Amino acid sequence: MNSIPDLRVILIDDNEIDLLLHERLITLQQISRTVLSFVNANKALEFLSSNISLPRIPPTVILLDIQMPEMDGFEFLQAFDAYPAKIKSQCHIIMVSSSLDYGDITRTNANPLVIKLLRKPLLIKDLKETVEGIFKDFL
Amino acid sequence: MKESRIRILYIDDEIHNLNAFKASFRRSYEIYTATSAQEGKQLLKEIMVHIIIADQKMPVSTGVEFFNEIKDTLPDPMRILLTGYTDVDDIIDAINKGHIFSYIKKPWDEHELHKTINNAYEIYHTRRQLKEKITELEKTNDELNRFIYSTSHDLRSPLMSVLGIINLSRLDNSVVDPNGYVDMVESCVLKLDDFIQKIIEYYRNSRLEVEYEKIDFNSLLNDCITAFKPQNTQIRFHTQVEQMIDFRGDTFRISVILNNLISNAVKYQKPDEAEPMVNLAVKVEPHKATISIRDNGIGILSEHLNNIFKMFFRSKNNNKPGSGIGLYIVKEALSKIGGTINVESKYGEGTQFEITIPNRNEFDT
Repeated sequence: MNSIPDLRVILIDDNEIDLLLHERLITLQQISRTVLSFVNANKALEFLSSNISLPRIPPTVILLDIQMPEMDGFEFLQAFDAYPAKIKSQCHIIMVSSSLDYGDITRTNANPLVIKLLRKPLLIKDLKETVEGIFKDFL
Repeated sequence: MKESRIRILYIDDEIHNLNAFKASFRRSYEIYTATSAQEGKQLLKEIMVHIIIADQKMPVSTGVEFFNEIKDTLPDPMRILLTGYTDVDDIIDAINKGHIFSYIKKPWDEHELHKTINNAYEIYHTRRQLKEKITELEKTNDELNRFIYSTSHDLRSPLMSVLGIINLSRLDNSVVDPNGYVDMVESCVLKLDDFIQKIIEYYRNSRLEVEYEKIDFNSLLNDCITAFKPQNTQIRFHTQVEQMIDFRGDTFRISVILNNLISNAVKYQKPDEAEPMVNLAVKVEPHKATISIRDNGIGILSEHLNNIFKMFFRSKNNNKPGSGIGLYIVKEALSKIGGTINVESKYGEGTQFEITIPNRNEFDT
């Protein structure tokens, strides 16, 4: 997975243990050298908007939880949809949730910004396949 | 709980009738009077009455017309019509248009009128209690709804973290565990998660509207087999689907039924069986589908066969106790979609479930 050297992963999850788990998985499997964790979706949005002024935005994979206080995954998607194409085209969003709620699942699958919904516990095989799927056209 | 006094509005264009009424009844009831339908309506805006008595023959609008006018805005008060004429058309009109509780002839018999008023109030009171109970029930149902939803997430989320930690510990080999404790933790967590999922299934079955759509049994069975195969790779699955015509049914419930039955067939295998197998057969006919799930597993004791569909019943003669809710969900889901189930089993030889589900095709209305 070293084919995209500047790939970064942004984790958004209110559960700190899951953040740690996902971070460890990504580093262990060397999916990316840069992992940025946010317990709050708002903070992640702030970070992304600070990126808009960068001359070049690195390819980014966002692992987004659904159920979160303050701003949930769907609200994040709605807000992020208003961001400029320059940053949106570089960000690939994977939803990660333990939800079995039918509504959550259909809403996620219907959202054009979401590449895939992965179930918790996040399996390294699923994550690798999904990330490889995203970047296969870029290689 | 008889709250305060019965409140009555009496409308009559003849003042001396109003006075006579007040004189005879004011000790028993709280009485309001009006000399016209117009005045009556005005009064009803201010005061909530339990019973409305109206004279039929009044100028401008008759008693029936008045009742008919207010029945949508004020459906609750009981209506009694008073009239001096015994006009059958009036009575029919009153009952059909004005939702009249009772019809009293003038001059009224005091005892009869008392009885009618009390009967009317009893109905009023019962209806109101019923309404309150319904509101209460709806609220409880709604709360249950939200409770199950948050339970499904709040209970599962930490469980999934535990599984994630276990996966990670295997991946980085950071835990020394010669006794296999981590595996035990994992199997407990999976069991608990299974139970949570069953509760959610039960709940969705009881709440969700039945929805009919086209079902392809071949792909439905394949999905099930793909999901269960990893649990016991020894098992050989045989499927035989005879589906020459379309089948329409409730996808969610049918897959819940199949998943639970196939899961049992996979789970309750004999440990020493050389050729464990699960046979699935589907036959679709214009009016129904018949599905049979047969295994050569441990079977069910004949004395337990009558109990297996009861909630939380668990057969004690096996080493793999389940949650005792799976077959109960199967039965509940079948009753929602009008299906039936039969079971045949020989202890030590295997079990066969046969279910039939009505085919909700277009021509079936």
